[in-house]
Amino acid sequence: MKNEDKDLTRRKTIGWILRAGIGAVIAAIVVKTSRRSSGGRLVWQIDPRKCIQCGKCETACVLQQSAVKCVHGIQMCGYCKLCFGYFKPDAPRLDEAAENQICPTGALIRKFIEPPYFEYTVDEDLCTGCGLCVKGCTNFGNGSLYLQVRHDICVNCNACRIAEVCPSDAFVQVPENDPYLLKELLPRET
Amino acid sequence: MRSNILENCMLNIGYWILAAVAMAAPLTLTAASRFPQPEFDSGYVAHKMPHPAPDFAVTPMMDILILVVALCIAVVLVRKVRSRNWILFFGLICLGWFGFIRNGCFCPIGTIQNVALSLFTGVRLPLVMGLFFAVPLIFSLLSGRVFCSVICPLGALQELFIVKPLRMPKSLDATLRIIPLIVLSVGIVCAVNGAGFIICRTDPFVGIFRQSAALPMLLTGMGVLLVGTVVARPYCRYFCPYGVLLEICSLISWKQVELTSNECINCRLCVGMCPVDAIEAPRPALSDKVRGRQFKQFLYLLVFLPIIILAGAGVGHLAGAGVAQLHPGVMLVEKWQSVEEHDEDLFPSIEAFKRSGGTIEQAKMQAAEIVGRFREGCMYSGVFIGLILGLRLLVLSKLQGRKVHQASRSRCVACGRCFSVCPNK
Repeated sequence: MKNEDKDLTRRKTIGWILRAGIGAVIAAIVVKTSRRSSGGRLVWQIDPRKCIQCGKCETACVLQQSAVKCVHGIQMCGYCKLCFGYFKPDAPRLDEAAENQICPTGALIRKFIEPPYFEYTVDEDLCTGCGLCVKGCTNFGNGSLYLQVRHDICVNCNACRIAEVCPSDAFVQVPENDPYLLKELLPRET
Repeated sequence: MRSNILENCMLNIGYWILAAVAMAAPLTLTAASRFPQPEFDSGYVAHKMPHPAPDFAVTPMMDILILVVALCIAVVLVRKVRSRNWILFFGLICLGWFGFIRNGCFCPIGTIQNVALSLFTGVRLPLVMGLFFAVPLIFSLLSGRVFCSVICPLGALQELFIVKPLRMPKSLDATLRIIPLIVLSVGIVCAVNGAGFIICRTDPFVGIFRQSAALPMLLTGMGVLLVGTVVARPYCRYFCPYGVLLEICSLISWKQVELTSNECINCRLCVGMCPVDAIEAPRPALSDKVRGRQFKQFLYLLVFLPIIILAGAGVGHLAGAGVAQLHPGVMLVEKWQSVEEHDEDLFPSIEAFKRSGGTIEQAKMQAAEIVGRFREGCMYSGVFIGLILGLRLLVLSKLQGRKVHQASRSRCVACGRCFSVCPNK
């Protein structure tokens, strides 16, 4: 009887040593991996300086309607009459008719302000994030149109599907309290 | 008509001149200087676009607090209330919160990869992520796998689809139980070496929680649920990499699921009820002779253990090149070698690599280095898998007798079905 008691106590002690050991390892992992500065979460965003407008943002997102949309940094815009983000290279005329527009959904809105300037705005409900306008504006214009993850739509997957297929590693994680990388506010070089 | 054509011509010429100018401009010339900002006479004021902030519903600390409170409630339900209905009910609440409201992301299963990435590369994680990884493990150290039955949205979802669970043949079960080990190690190797988060990509149910999924994911998820009607919780038992960690913790847990709060009368009702074959039947104490034989077998296996580990390392090293195919850098080289030179710009990955000033030789060198790292990583994975398999073999030689039925520490997910049928509550 006494022997069995001893056996039980020994087993219990070994159990607690093992538990304490594994618990300590887990605690050490948490301490080693976590940032000291803040406990906040990270969200996905596109660095517009790295984006090559490959068009995968439109199709790779796990949501049916991609969380990536075109935004317009209007402080950078040249208000061009011939906007390379708005008109197709072979546009028959320089007006708002659908056949002249690059945007497949008509989400880029062109509004006359004063000669010779036009204002361009994005209708986010229509935008699919294909980046065709961004390509034109970046390559030939001021680059004021660019793609961003819209956080009212994004569900913040742990592993962003678009980030995984992004050919230029333009997807980065940013703190949740500063969730946009607005091109007009960023330093030019990456 | 004529003016139309003329305008068209002018437009095109203008476009191409501008295009040529823009393209010819050296890269150092900043894009913003191409067209100056106008000054308006008409009093036009530009208004900036609003940028909506992310909506998380709760602060990070609240998130953790909810997880801890939910786990505490689960422990109370499993240990004190001991009611199948309450466990199911609370599981549904958790399924709603962790699944459909928080969209199933991030979950402790996925955070394995974040934690591994952080440990190996030094990138720091938000504290909330580390805690999401650690808290369920700590709880399973204290009182078994209560996380699986109640909190985990994947588990709770599969729990609802169990209709007529079949007994799995022991050999098949043992074979299939190798898969989670492979998923865990391949997931970590891929995450650490930059091949993406495989564990997240193979999660079959997250599309259901988001209510938006690609067809293959939706079909896989429904298929798993369908299989789950006869093989209970197939994802948890034969795929979940976090389950491996929970299993290790729960093997040495302080408390475990008790089939009855009274004395077990060995009626075997719970054995028929358990959907995951987690109830261990009593076995007679061995005679000294048999015991001695068993112990000898145990010692042989102990000697055999290093051989299993070595074999695991070898297989891992061989498999490393195959696993490396998941890495975009290796995929790039394969694609690059298979396309004609004039087609190269059709592929964004090649275009992006070329734009960063790389050549195919550099890409090949990078890919070779990546394959090397994968081989090394998979070798260590092989050691880990070999060790766990060896230990599982060792556990097979059971030297101690047992008088009553008992819930298996490693397999029991605390669903509470046994509580409901026990006649001696």
